[in-house]
Amino acid sequence: MLGEGKGVVQNCAVIAQFLFGRLFGYLIFGVIAWGINRSILQAVGYREFIIGLAYVVLSVFLICYAFFRVRTSCVVQKLTGIVGRMKNTIPLFLPLFLGFFTGLSFCPPFLLALTSAADKGGLTQSILFFFMFFLGTSVFFIPAPFVGLLRSFSVMSTIGKLAAGLVGIYYLYSGIIMLMVGIKRI
Amino acid sequence: MNQDKIKPDVVVPQISLIKTLLLMLPMMFLTFAILTQGKLPSDPKSLFAMVITYLFINATFFMLLYTGKTDKFRSIFFITYAVLFVVSFITHLIEIRGSMAVSQANMLQGETPFCHIVIPMTLIPLAFTRTIIFPGTIIGSFASIASMFVLWIGVTLALGRGFCSWGCFFGGLDDGFSRILKRPVIKNINFNWTYLPYAVLIAVVLTAAISLSPTYCAWLCPYKTVTEFVEVTSFKILMQTIIFVSLFIGLVIILPILTRRRIQCGLFCPFGAFQSFTNKINVFEVRIDKEKCVKCKRCIQACPTFSLSEEVWEKGKTRISCTKCGKCIDSCLKKAIFFHLKGTPLSGNQRIYRILFLYPAFLFLATLAGGNIQDGMMKIIRLITTGSMFIH
Repeated sequence: MLGEGKGVVQNCAVIAQFLFGRLFGYLIFGVIAWGINRSILQAVGYREFIIGLAYVVLSVFLICYAFFRVRTSCVVQKLTGIVGRMKNTIPLFLPLFLGFFTGLSFCPPFLLALTSAADKGGLTQSILFFFMFFLGTSVFFIPAPFVGLLRSFSVMSTIGKLAAGLVGIYYLYSGIIMLMVGIKRI
Repeated sequence: MNQDKIKPDVVVPQISLIKTLLLMLPMMFLTFAILTQGKLPSDPKSLFAMVITYLFINATFFMLLYTGKTDKFRSIFFITYAVLFVVSFITHLIEIRGSMAVSQANMLQGETPFCHIVIPMTLIPLAFTRTIIFPGTIIGSFASIASMFVLWIGVTLALGRGFCSWGCFFGGLDDGFSRILKRPVIKNINFNWTYLPYAVLIAVVLTAAISLSPTYCAWLCPYKTVTEFVEVTSFKILMQTIIFVSLFIGLVIILPILTRRRIQCGLFCPFGAFQSFTNKINVFEVRIDKEKCVKCKRCIQACPTFSLSEEVWEKGKTRISCTKCGKCIDSCLKKAIFFHLKGTPLSGNQRIYRILFLYPAFLFLATLAGGNIQDGMMKIIRLITTGSMFIH
């Protein structure tokens, strides 16, 4: 849509809709993460063990995703048919829906974020966590309105992957520590 | 092209002796005002340290102007500044606290000196919570938060990322280590690593915003090894200590020696990445005259922060990560690289552009470094004369 040769203002509107949809999707997951904390994690006795294990497994996935060539599937790609139909029926809000669907993409960083948010106590903390996740994963869209399709996408992708690797190492360390605490308690 | 076959353009002093001395006068007056603050020290040792500092600053500026060599003399000053900053800082901490280690009580009292590297991490929490996530004091104390913000804004407006070569009190350490060997042992570094500082920036800014604590300072800052660090009271702090000491040894000492590049500044520092964007709004830049250039690639090999490559040569200017250290300019035998003032013609007088850049850059360096050099020198004089650096 950005490559259709519209002006900066129209591209800004598309990006704004897309990001708003994404934010909405993430905030829903903030609430879900809080729900998981309140229900499942409060009920079971091995909280540290479960969260620690999830951190370790998901951070290893994240590190692989960052430093090795891993093909990740995009939810939107799988919805090509639906998107095509929507483009005809609701063209005005299409970026909003696309943003929402990318917000639901279960990639390693997202799953790790969900685990981390579930580990937080309150609803506000969970929502704030996903809001920050949204901010961090949205900086790549800042130049988009000005250059149409991301001209320097490979650079952004490299930076994103390196950042994912660093965060993965941090969570791997946190996971190992938490796992050790969990094992001690068992 | 074979570098050895290139004949250098005739080297002549940039400016005549008389013009140099005239240009020196304002700097001599300003540095005198900065160092004395209107009053000469009564203690002979302090007076001696002040005189030596004053002569050192002005002799450096004289050589910068007269010889036309920027990096050669900047680096001497910059490295001296970094080493004496460490001497001054550590002795100051030991005098007031008795240790380089910060205890929980010190942090609760807001006694941790603030450093510019924390700035990018404080912005999001500041916007959302109106709190600065650092255990320092806002105003009035040694290295207060307000003074560091004011300093950063000033240097940023004047120099952009030039801060990293003309202001940062840490940069001189890896700059110094990168000059130890005459030839690099490691030559080929994957260009993708130059994006690592931006990744570190994103990671630390987000983790700082989520955890509301300066994560880079806690986990990664290698310079804590030579300034101050949290007292080891738990396994977590022990891990953090192992990490930052390892990073210091690797990024500030070993890799700069082996590569002859400023690895910490060019491939890791998140503040450097953040500061790179300010080069966009700064009026000074480094440009390449493609007609004069003979593509010998000396500048690419000389650049300590990987800010020159064959790709950017096509654009005729450095990457945004350029710290304006002047090393590429000094290394160019054909004078094809030069400081430039944005918005003015490229064919303008390069000497004037250079002087226009050198004045604010050197004045900032002298302002920041003067007190530290003087104090560090004072501590060394005290060590020689009394056998101890500390006031008992």
